[in-house]
Amino acid sequence: MPETTRPTRALRLGVCGPVGTGKSSLIALLCRELAPSLRLAVITNDIYTDEDARFLRSAGVLDPERIRAVETGACPHTAIRDDISANLLAVETLEEDFAPLDVVLIESGGDNLTATFSPALVDTQIFVLDVAGGGDVARKGGPGIERADLLVVNKTDLAPYVGVDRDRMVADARAARDDRAVIALSRTDPESVAALVAWVRGELARHRAGRLVPVDPGPMAAHSHPHDHAHPHEHAHA
Amino acid sequence: MLLADARLPVAGHTQSGQLEPAVARGLAARDVPAYLRARLETVTGVEAATAVVARHHLVHGLPLPPVEVAWAARTPSAAMRTTSRAQARALLRLAHRLWPGDPALAVLAGIDRPSRGVALAAAGTAAGLDALSLARLVGYDDVQTVCAAALKLMPLDPYEATGWAHAALPAVEALAHSVAPLTKPGDIPAAGAPQIEAWAEDHAATTRRLFSA
Repeated sequence: MPETTRPTRALRLGVCGPVGTGKSSLIALLCRELAPSLRLAVITNDIYTDEDARFLRSAGVLDPERIRAVETGACPHTAIRDDISANLLAVETLEEDFAPLDVVLIESGGDNLTATFSPALVDTQIFVLDVAGGGDVARKGGPGIERADLLVVNKTDLAPYVGVDRDRMVADARAARDDRAVIALSRTDPESVAALVAWVRGELARHRAGRLVPVDPGPMAAHSHPHDHAHPHEHAHA
Repeated sequence: MLLADARLPVAGHTQSGQLEPAVARGLAARDVPAYLRARLETVTGVEAATAVVARHHLVHGLPLPPVEVAWAARTPSAAMRTTSRAQARALLRLAHRLWPGDPALAVLAGIDRPSRGVALAAAGTAAGLDALSLARLVGYDDVQTVCAAALKLMPLDPYEATGWAHAALPAVEALAHSVAPLTKPGDIPAAGAPQIEAWAEDHAATTRRLFSA
């Protein structure tokens, strides 16, 4: 991609996270909230079926033609990270078929805590956890939890039913992420939905202004200086 | 060597060489070596010959559309043509990054949705491959695609699949030598495999699959 096309093409927003945390539902929610004002399209990376694509089509929130599935050959991690070509081609084809688009949402196949998008595929990414997956998951950390552009702790309305301390889990997530964004989301909590929509609109605004530089969350831990070596630092520490 | 590496980021991990629909319809692990040979003698032979003839046309400044037409006429499955063109697109995206401004790749830019064999010919020309090496690459890549997919689709010892690939090498070599001298689109063998083509069509219509094709 020539750099000059960047400001004019759609924002590419990745949504990843473990199986069953609500990635498809979150995308359906975003489509419902954003479709009236933005031109959207969706790529799903199902593992074995086109279930996610069909779920989104049947949700009726977007023209079914604008939702396409990419097969990953049982390698969901590879398809978003070390060989993104199938996804890139799918994004570009959607962008050609429905030009102009504002946002293309890319849903990864549900994978493990280390799976994050290559910055060559998405401009910004959301990592999704849910309270039903266990209150300790946020504390376990990992590249997506610690360094995705946004961490969503989903299904907070279920916390009382699964014995999870919602506030504790969200506090753990914030502690793991320095100042990066965390949203405790529930479909039944309009305030949390509004926060999610506002975050996406903010990313889109930064993208359009040419100020959104894709940041790679992982998979390795960010380089850190233990301050026990001799050479002088020329850069500031955050 | 570079172009034959499974780690090449051209979506090879999404391909099974129609092994997935074959296994779904009863192909067993013991049949895979024969399946590899059958492909080399039919669909893969067509692709290898297409690549060799396209390379000849690129090197000698001859037009490519007749090669494309000859390939399409010998690839009756629409699903397989679509797959080939999608793979070509991924390959060309990479090739343009590796060899920017290469004349063979520039010729391809003028072809509407080229096939994978023709795209490989351009990448191979940019890389300086001779006809024999190019044909060997097509054969070897197909064998490894099927063997790697088999490990995902069947209960297998990985060493067994590597053994299949190794055992198929003489057939790859025979294919390479048989197609390497070809120069004209009409020379491309018209060796179809109706069962493989039917599997490809079925697979394109299913909603449950691990592999794109």
